Amino acid sequence: MGIVLKLGMNWPDGSQWQTVWAVFQGLLLEAIPFLLIGVAIATAARAWDPRGRWLQRLPRHPLLGPLSGAALGFALPACECGNVPVARRLLAQGAPMGASLGFLFAAPVLNPIVLLSTWAAFPDRPWLLLLRPLGSVVIALVLTALLQQLSEAALLAPDLLEERRMGQPLATASLLDRRSGLIGNQPLSTTPAIAAERPSMGVLLDHGLREFLELGSLLLLGCGIAATIQTLIPRDLFLAVGQAPTLSVLSLMLLAVVVSVCSSVDAFLALGFAAMVTPGALLAFLLLGPVIDLKSISLFSRIFRRRGILLMLAGVVVAVLLIGQWLNLVLL
Amino acid sequence: MNWLPPFVLGLWGAVLLQAWGSGRLNLLLQADFHWLVLVSGLLLLALAGLAARFAPKRRSGRTPALVMLLAAPLVLLIPPRPSFSTLAANRSSGALEGESETLTFLSPPEQRSLTDWVRLLRSQPDPELYRGDPVRISGFVMPTPQAAPVLARLTVRCCLADATPVGIPVIWPEGESLKADEWLAVSGEMGVERVGGVLRSVVIAERVQPIPKPKRPFEP
Repeated sequence: MGIVLKLGMNWPDGSQWQTVWAVFQGLLLEAIPFLLIGVAIATAARAWDPRGRWLQRLPRHPLLGPLSGAALGFALPACECGNVPVARRLLAQGAPMGASLGFLFAAPVLNPIVLLSTWAAFPDRPWLLLLRPLGSVVIALVLTALLQQLSEAALLAPDLLEERRMGQPLATASLLDRRSGLIGNQPLSTTPAIAAERPSMGVLLDHGLREFLELGSLLLLGCGIAATIQTLIPRDLFLAVGQAPTLSVLSLMLLAVVVSVCSSVDAFLALGFAAMVTPGALLAFLLLGPVIDLKSISLFSRIFRRRGILLMLAGVVVAVLLIGQWLNLVLL
Repeated sequence: MNWLPPFVLGLWGAVLLQAWGSGRLNLLLQADFHWLVLVSGLLLLALAGLAARFAPKRRSGRTPALVMLLAAPLVLLIPPRPSFSTLAANRSSGALEGESETLTFLSPPEQRSLTDWVRLLRSQPDPELYRGDPVRISGFVMPTPQAAPVLARLTVRCCLADATPVGIPVIWPEGESLKADEWLAVSGEMGVERVGGVLRSVVIAERVQPIPKPKRPFEP
């Protein structure tokens, strides 16, 4: 209410819009290199394993699958912008759903850069260094289990589903499912099917280029929303609830979504207000931001249908809130 | 021929290189990330050239390319002009890395930057320790509600989105007219004042000189 009144009474002036534009450029220019790294890794995976034979060997076990996907974060360090194209490629190549989702949700935290920066920012809070990766794995397990309640057809974006079907053996996806045009509906897009042989450099470039442009256009939108909201709404509003156990967790979760900072440096930002908030709120900030924020939420539309995104949002909010609450119960 | 996607990719390569070459990044990103933008710009240009030469020509998925095509000239032509005081007013002053530890190395008082002073004052907050120390600092004017403007800096770890202000109170010379966002070099000495019954350190400004905005205005 206070926010609405404030915005309603004071229309942002010129200097505020100029600041929004600068923050937008800052977010975008920082994110583009990581997006490029993610697309490059995804393209390399397509070149190296065009039929997904290796990726399909990742564990299908409901527990080992997400854990193995999460562990891939150590091998493919990327923050949340970069891991979306990589997770999309895992799914498109037919990798098990659990492993792919485990990577998508946990890799932005479970990588050496993020763990080192967390340790550098909070050397006096060893519990944070332990609970951040652990909490991230728990969230990945919860979200994976939750999203797998939907069928692949109800969960995955149509063009990703089509590509995934082409890579799966006929035992798991029939010709009808594949929508290749041989039986049933017309193919959804004109994207050529995954070649049985190693694709040529031209085809790889074409796919990588289009993926970069598609994700880049969504990133523009996300950066624009994040820059506007975080410049026009005072950050103190999120920190005002200070030591209230539940409210502080909720408000810091909201701040993590709004501020949209890369997971490799968010610990340093959290350092700025760590003394003002509860331990549970601090952990919630460091757990939620790497999974979802205003900058990256639009990117998820390249992986999930709307229902999947909503389910993921609900799941991650509840999981992070409970973890934050639990920590406050233990430490306060 | 579908020239659009490679062209747009090359255009964004040019945007990144222009941002790097023009010094614009100094206003947007922490210096550690500048090389990433440079390398990405070069890679995008190279990939655009390769795609134009080798990628199969087909027409599909034009909307993202058009969106990126429209956005690139805007980013290229409209430079960022952030108001630091607007940004700072929206964000509470945060803790600094290392301030919770006792500082073992101290540069001489007149060589300390504004951020060095803030870190020291938070680490060892007894104001009497610094009374009379010479001060030579620079920063921008940040208005504060119901108090005199402070001299401030923004600390940035990654990009402007995480910019956090650190400010130091100043007793300004009589009649000094101050404008928000104006960059000043202040010299004087450290004093002590009582605010709300609590003693705190304050810079007693003897000489205030307007200076151009530094090329790299952020502090790590």
